[in-house]
Amino acid sequence: MTVTLALLKLSQEQVREKILHTWASGEKSWVIPIHLGPLNLSITKIEWFLFIGVAVTFLFLFFGSRALKNRPGAYQVLVEETYGFGRRMLGGQIGPEGMKWFPYTLSIFVLLLVLNLIALIPNTYPVTSNLSFTGALAILTFILTQYEGVRRHGLGEYLKSWVPEGSGRLMAPALWFLHLIQEFTKPLTLAMRLYANIIAGHLIIFVFLSFILYYGIYFAVVSVPLAVVFYAFEIFVAVIQAYIFAILTQVYIELAIYGEG
Amino acid sequence: MGGGIFDVTNTSLVFWELVSFAILLILLYRFVYPVLREQIQRRQAAIEQAIEEAERTREEARELLEEYRRQMEEARQEARRILDEARRQGEAQRERTKAEARQEAERIIRQAREEIGRERDAALREVRQEVAEMVVQAAEQVLRREIDREEHERLIQAALDDLEAEVAGSVSGG
Repeated sequence: MTVTLALLKLSQEQVREKILHTWASGEKSWVIPIHLGPLNLSITKIEWFLFIGVAVTFLFLFFGSRALKNRPGAYQVLVEETYGFGRRMLGGQIGPEGMKWFPYTLSIFVLLLVLNLIALIPNTYPVTSNLSFTGALAILTFILTQYEGVRRHGLGEYLKSWVPEGSGRLMAPALWFLHLIQEFTKPLTLAMRLYANIIAGHLIIFVFLSFILYYGIYFAVVSVPLAVVFYAFEIFVAVIQAYIFAILTQVYIELAIYGEG
Repeated sequence: MGGGIFDVTNTSLVFWELVSFAILLILLYRFVYPVLREQIQRRQAAIEQAIEEAERTREEARELLEEYRRQMEEARQEARRILDEARRQGEAQRERTKAEARQEAERIIRQAREEIGRERDAALREVRQEVAEMVVQAAEQVLRREIDREEHERLIQAALDDLEAEVAGSVSGG
């Protein structure tokens, strides 16, 4: 009994390692070490898949924008519709001034979508499940939001616009402070949402499959169908999370432009 | 912290992310989005133009139809007018013909009457002549026979009476 338990414990540890292998090994695989003083700028498997994602994003849109014909083929329609989707669904959520930001949010959408989908290929590294990646992107959103707000209203007016109109003298500071916190939680949730959704999806699939390692090959009868179902669901999540990140970025920027009053 | 599933301080990832994302944005803004925007605008313009053209064509067609209907109506009125005219002319012609026929008939009848009159006169004359001749023949035959005495006497007496009457008339008259 003790022996079995010990074995079980050991195998549990091993299973845990297997499940987390993707994230544990990402930084240690395919490394080109680059160090700039104290900064570690090494290119690893994580960066490689980031580059692949960026390249695929660019090439997908680039080749779609070349070889344009008046009677478009399926590929051209796909690219044009992607652009049209950005214009209709992303730009101008609150006002027409926000339209000028849609190419940016569309770029984010396509890049995140490509990265999410590439991540579904086995043995890749899911870049969007890295908190550093989503965090940096969310901080970019934060910076652009504040930039647009200040540029549009001036710093004083912008900071005043955080307090809803008609709030009492007593309530105003509290509300302003609440908004200040909100301004920082926005990018935080943005980063966490994408990261958590993608990593959770991958972990669930790995956990289901790891049952086979833990309980034996016959458990595949249960594990594989469940994993397949979640894999299919992950495709949906890949699209929806990319969209949510992009549209929230757009909305945050437009909120800063038009004020929340 | 760092590494694993909670990789918050991956400086190289953040650095390369910012670099590659910036490059991506530059490339997309320069080479992709203007082309796509232009293409979509061009197609939109083409579609709008096509719609406009279709609208115009339909307008033209409607005008043509209107014109055609008006012409049809005109033609119908013209036809009715011509028909009426023809009917009126026909009516007049018939009246005229009728009148002419009546006149002709009257003329013929009058001629016939005159003819008949002439024929009758001729016939009467002929009959009278015939009768006269017959009288003369009869008289001859009668005269050829021997007139009895009495007869002679009477005829002579009658002649004498006539003569006497005539003489008396002329005397009393003179």
